[in-house]
Amino acid sequence: MKVKPPRMLAVPFNFGNTLGEANNPKLQNDILNSSLELLKFDTGPVLKDYLTSPISNPIVQGSEVKNNHELKDIKLQDEIVNSFVAYESWLNKNGNRTGVGLSGVDYIHFPELVDSINKFIQDHSNDIYQRPKAVSLGRYLRYVVDDLKAFSFEAKMAKETNITVNDLHKWFWQDTTLAKLIMTLVQYMKLHPDPEVKEESFGIAR
Amino acid sequence: MPLLEKLSKNMQERMLNWPCNEYENTPWTQPSKPLSKSKVALVSTAGFHLRGDKPFSNGDTSFRIIPSDTEPANIIQSHTSIGFDRTETFRDINITYPVDRLLELVESGTIGSIAENYYSFMGALSDVTKLIEQHGPEVASLMKQEDVDVVLLVPT
Repeated sequence: MKVKPPRMLAVPFNFGNTLGEANNPKLQNDILNSSLELLKFDTGPVLKDYLTSPISNPIVQGSEVKNNHELKDIKLQDEIVNSFVAYESWLNKNGNRTGVGLSGVDYIHFPELVDSINKFIQDHSNDIYQRPKAVSLGRYLRYVVDDLKAFSFEAKMAKETNITVNDLHKWFWQDTTLAKLIMTLVQYMKLHPDPEVKEESFGIAR
Repeated sequence: MPLLEKLSKNMQERMLNWPCNEYENTPWTQPSKPLSKSKVALVSTAGFHLRGDKPFSNGDTSFRIIPSDTEPANIIQSHTSIGFDRTETFRDINITYPVDRLLELVESGTIGSIAENYYSFMGALSDVTKLIEQHGPEVASLMKQEDVDVVLLVPT
């Protein structure tokens, strides 16, 4: 152990899943109580393992999934608009808690946002007009992609409450027109003359 | 975090070679009162902040204050990375930011109370110099002013 924090409970869960499982207060409480138990030791550093079956399904990456060639030629704007009702039901069910919000664009204006991305892909001299001046282009493209993914994931989870994370990723990268747009955008960002845009393309399509 | 052997080869290498600081000793403070009488603060390194607050940028060692009574709907996560997936946090913020669980620990009498404010940092920082010299001590000082007894640090 290099850093030697005074007290640490090591949990065997994927990154982003520190307290084990969503909507499982019993497990989350047990992990918290096990952390607080470490206060009982008289000397440190105290490093303890949280003993449970590790949840270790690696998350499917966008690059591992092939686009479905049978994909209906659905217009992206329609795909977004068709998710409005499900997304609104997600907001209602979750007390308005949502991962959407980094782009500063309200979801009802997401069709215009994807239109801006399309124009940007066609010609990089086109900016994203929704971008606040204080936010760099590369960073803003990341925010936009993060928002569109969050919107799409939450709408899907509203319809299929128990869908696993991997099935959600597979569905998104295989079956949605939005994923195709993101993949195209990433390829385009990699070739962009602005080095920051290039750098921000890393890891967006996952 | 996941067990090392469950990570991809690349990730294993990245973790093993992470430029973390090495220390001879551990800072150690014995609790001055029972947990049931202690005030507990939460520190997150998942890049959460209030909606409308300044988003985190890459390598950002600064922190954001989130009042502990903030509704989860008013919290957003601006640290996004290929290194972790946000889906389960969309489902339940408590998986990385256990606000509801801490309230329950107060109700059950396990902890005395929660602090007025929680604090949030970015994760995945490779250069932590400013964190150690400036932002970490600033947060510690704020928590001392709030008479915090116990700090629960929840990483991503």
